[in-house]
Amino acid sequence: MEEINNTEPNRTISDFWPSIALVGSIFGVVIFALGLVFGYMQIQSEPSGAIFSPMMFSGVIVCLVVAFAGAMAIWHYTREVTPFVSLGQGALIGFLTGAVLVIISTVLNEFWHFIDPDYTQKVIDSAIANLEAMDVPAETKNTMIDATVESMRSQQSIFSQILYGIPMYGILNLITGLIGVKIFGKKEDEETF
Amino acid sequence: MQHKKLYIVVSFALLAVVLISLGELLWGSSGEARHWTEWMFYGICHQLPERTYSIGGYFMAVNTRCFGIFLGLWLGWFTIPLLSSITKGKRWPVWILAVAVILQIIDFSGNMFGVWENTNHTRAVLGMILGITVPVAISDLFYSGKSNN
Repeated sequence: MEEINNTEPNRTISDFWPSIALVGSIFGVVIFALGLVFGYMQIQSEPSGAIFSPMMFSGVIVCLVVAFAGAMAIWHYTREVTPFVSLGQGALIGFLTGAVLVIISTVLNEFWHFIDPDYTQKVIDSAIANLEAMDVPAETKNTMIDATVESMRSQQSIFSQILYGIPMYGILNLITGLIGVKIFGKKEDEETF
Repeated sequence: MQHKKLYIVVSFALLAVVLISLGELLWGSSGEARHWTEWMFYGICHQLPERTYSIGGYFMAVNTRCFGIFLGLWLGWFTIPLLSSITKGKRWPVWILAVAVILQIIDFSGNMFGVWENTNHTRAVLGMILGITVPVAISDLFYSGKSNN
């Protein structure tokens, strides 16, 4: 909850950075790793035609993980720096955590293309095989395949990915940062001496 | 009400999220390449075409559940000034947020295990419920005590 302790020193951005950098980095690595795990699960899976492919799970789970980063950064801040955190501080910590998360996961994804240059093509081939096995009308199937291939092949530079990613990841984590303030923050009347 | 600047900035940010999530429906097609609005939600949403609202071959940038969440967040944000008297110091707003999260999990699981089949509309409505409960859950933060920020 809201910070109302008058004895609490004014906090600066340098007080927030350890939580932002640590939690943003951890979540960036986790998202990168989850994307890889589900990507290779997709590559190795038999084309069943099921809509619940590993790549779909990847989208759902990564989204859930992403959404917790802002709240977790607040949790870390309230444990390591001070239990008192204002709404504005929570919003800032959440937004910047989202930004760090985007930068780390994007850089790692780019790095992986040097390790396994065929990764994207293998995921596309597997996704097409799964779509072709689906029990849907041919026209629908072709539309889905075209849309999937188009979206997977479409590439942006690393800077564009970061530029596009930061606003949305930032806003999402700003919101969860506010939830973190609600859950993990402390009111003055809750303070124990 | 406290934190008026933050409240206004976030309300505009959420409006931007909703407008961008409309994708090709609002901003037009970009041809063969992935639309710039889709890039902005890349990694946040799985963006499966069959789970995304479309009109005449033009697709939104996010799937129906995500669109519901974003729209609900934005609409719910406007309830914050109205809710202070009934949410201040209460625990139920957090509980309804938890219930809304559990609803998504139940809906996703029921569909995945074939217990029922959800639709784009049901996903959008459930997502909107989750989106609305978030501002409700944090609404009292805009009214509690005095602040040094």
